[in-house]
Amino acid sequence: MNAIEIQNLTFSYPAAEAPVLRDVSLTVEEGDFLAIVGNNGCGKSTLCKALNGLIPHFLVGDFSGSVKIFGEDTLGADVGALARKVGYVYQDFENQIVRPTALDDASYACLNYAMEDYEDRGREALALCGLQGREDDYVFQLSGGQTHLLALAGAVSLRPNILILDEPIAQLDPAHADRIYGVLRELNEKHGKTILVIEHHTEYIADYCKHVLLMRDGGAAWKLPTREALQRVDELQACNIFPPQVTTAAERLRRAGCLPASSPLPTTVEEGKAIFSALRYRGAGKVLPEKTEAAEPAVALRNVSVSYRSVKGEDRKVFRGLNLSIHKGEKVALIGSNGAGKSTMMRLMVGLLKPEAGDVQLLGQSILRRKTEDLSRTISLVYQNPEQMFIQDSVRADVAYAMRVRGEADWKARTEDLLRRFRLEEIADRDGRLLSGGQMRRASLAIGIALNPGILLLDEPTANLDIATRREILRTLTDLKGVTDTVLIATHDMQLVCEWAERIVVLCEGGVAADGPRDAVFGDRAVIERVGIRPPEIFTMGQALDGRALCYTVGEFERDFAEA
Amino acid sequence: MTVNMKKKLSESILDKFSIDFLRSQVLKNAYGNDDTVIAKLDPRVLLAWYLVVGLVPWFVSDLWFLGACFLLVLVTTKLARVAGLVLALFAVGVFSQTGYLFIVALFFGGDVSTAAPLLVMTLKVATCSLASVTVFSGLDPDRLSNGLMWYGCPERLSFSISYAYRVLPMLMEEFQNILLSYRLRGNPPAHETWTGKVRYLVYQVKIIMQAFYPLMLNTAKRSRTTVEALEIKGYRYAAVDKQVKRMKLRTLQVTTNDFLFLALSLLWISLAMLGSALF
Repeated sequence: MNAIEIQNLTFSYPAAEAPVLRDVSLTVEEGDFLAIVGNNGCGKSTLCKALNGLIPHFLVGDFSGSVKIFGEDTLGADVGALARKVGYVYQDFENQIVRPTALDDASYACLNYAMEDYEDRGREALALCGLQGREDDYVFQLSGGQTHLLALAGAVSLRPNILILDEPIAQLDPAHADRIYGVLRELNEKHGKTILVIEHHTEYIADYCKHVLLMRDGGAAWKLPTREALQRVDELQACNIFPPQVTTAAERLRRAGCLPASSPLPTTVEEGKAIFSALRYRGAGKVLPEKTEAAEPAVALRNVSVSYRSVKGEDRKVFRGLNLSIHKGEKVALIGSNGAGKSTMMRLMVGLLKPEAGDVQLLGQSILRRKTEDLSRTISLVYQNPEQMFIQDSVRADVAYAMRVRGEADWKARTEDLLRRFRLEEIADRDGRLLSGGQMRRASLAIGIALNPGILLLDEPTANLDIATRREILRTLTDLKGVTDTVLIATHDMQLVCEWAERIVVLCEGGVAADGPRDAVFGDRAVIERVGIRPPEIFTMGQALDGRALCYTVGEFERDFAEA
Repeated sequence: MTVNMKKKLSESILDKFSIDFLRSQVLKNAYGNDDTVIAKLDPRVLLAWYLVVGLVPWFVSDLWFLGACFLLVLVTTKLARVAGLVLALFAVGVFSQTGYLFIVALFFGGDVSTAAPLLVMTLKVATCSLASVTVFSGLDPDRLSNGLMWYGCPERLSFSISYAYRVLPMLMEEFQNILLSYRLRGNPPAHETWTGKVRYLVYQVKIIMQAFYPLMLNTAKRSRTTVEALEIKGYRYAAVDKQVKRMKLRTLQVTTNDFLFLALSLLWISLAMLGSALF
């Protein structure tokens, strides 16, 4: 039986010029694991909200066509009845959790629908989502990944046969991301749930999903089995979806004649092993760079210890006697799992947080006795959440703010200059919060460098962005050369790390676990396994083919394996 | 040595007033003490107890009785392990209500006889405040709202109480980050001189007020998801469903501990009244 049948669905929000969904027809079979891909703003989320009845019952607009869930038309059912058939997990899942403890939140919907066994259902859902034993934990005690699992449990408790997740792993480190997908696979295979995910990470699609739906301009372009879908490299790239790195590499090698024209394209490292088996490694192997004379330290942490107050019991130690120097002119990536202390370190450096013990130095001087606002000409921090940087009512006013209140002579001219440089001119008069994800990031970068700081700290600059926007941010970062020479980025995005960073600092268990150029960090298997980071897929592919190969980008892989 | 200590003290006072500290205190207050004797009592019993201890002292002027009530709530407050900030607020509150009058009275030539009526007033205020502190911060917000619901308060009120505690930490974190944005990019007046300090204070108050605007907009953005999620989770259906209310209240249970608590309170107050009659 078909789980979902959509016929000629067209929907537009009130006062919108064009419909978000145009004539979508789609069927999804029961037990499918479907990935929905497409450009930002192509109607993916709107489609999903049409499945659980929020559209048209709660979010009204022009609705035509029909949506059937297990044969029942959504127009004839109410949101409550549909919630028991279709579970939904939002991208900003933390706003979906309304109760204080895990069990409370997981069973809340069941209680509201007056199900006598609501507690049992909540417990069962928590167990299914891997949160057994955490029933009585308060929501704020859970990590980001666990909070996401809790949001999922809240949906699972109603025992719906269809589960929809909007970008489930956007903010998670690889270990947490694997856990989420592991849970989804079990729900799909063991419990027969039909699962739909909106997902940008094609590596995960290749590993877990059965079918892929491509949305284009509000319509369903096609739905194909995953392997077949991911091989349509050109079509995906035209929609700003980047196929797995192994697929892209194989496609390029095939075009260059290094692989036979009839060769299928691999979508996972496993498949790659067979398809690339004829290739020989021709690269130079590991090149350890010569030790250069270190420039003077721009920022230095000396024996720093920090801990956070916890609601109950012992305070949590984030750093214990940590030492680190960032030198002038370096491009440093700060990596580590969720909660390793990346954001804490950045707050220490700009003086927003004082260490319990130890010293923080900026250009050789201790900052502990200095005022935060005096430091902002030297060092600047761009938050992970750009919304919190918008303190004025337009992008222009926000970019100008720091210069204006400091009475810079040419602040007007510099503001216009920055708006031009970051391509913000057309949106300069809008409120920052109402922009798209990529625009918000660009605006926050412009705000961050307004005072010409010599040192720039960026907290997760590519989180929650699709790959095209990520590339754009990467380009902007490269453009920063000459404005700010020392840049530190905290991120989970290993492709960004490998393409951009000259030095990688790995945080783990309150200290620096590894520090050096990418070959020194990713080339050391012991470190990788201990700290739970994952190199880009193409690196793993290269390693699987030849232990000497250290390729971090598709281009490097192509170069090193170019001939059979 | 003393200079150093002074510095330490002023630093720790500044530290205490960070939003981060407020946030941790709110959380501690709401959820950090769910394993105390008070937290395990039935909310209905505790609310009834509150009605007596928090209301009756207003109509009685007997020092024995008031003193006993005060000692009783002192003990319950201790048992409830109330967060430090709340107690500090309590102390400031009581002093600003009546305590300063006492000092003013002494200053203008009053003597201990002026103090007696003021002491009675202070005892009343202190007793009622501490009783409130015991009940409203000793119980976790959820049990409190269930208790209120049993006494017939509308479901929406009880949901609001527990939901407020759920979002408050989030809001405070958001507010803190916005304030930090102002701190990083703003340019406060120099505050070495005395006038500078006044200007700095005015500046800070202004910034705090301005920071509410982005806070509201960010919250509005977040709440879009929350509203939709509540709809899916059936909040609207539950509000009108009597069955749901019955299920929620079923978790409440009066145990021997509750009787013991009531009995001890009663015994203590009777002893005090006996004492008052005898002496």
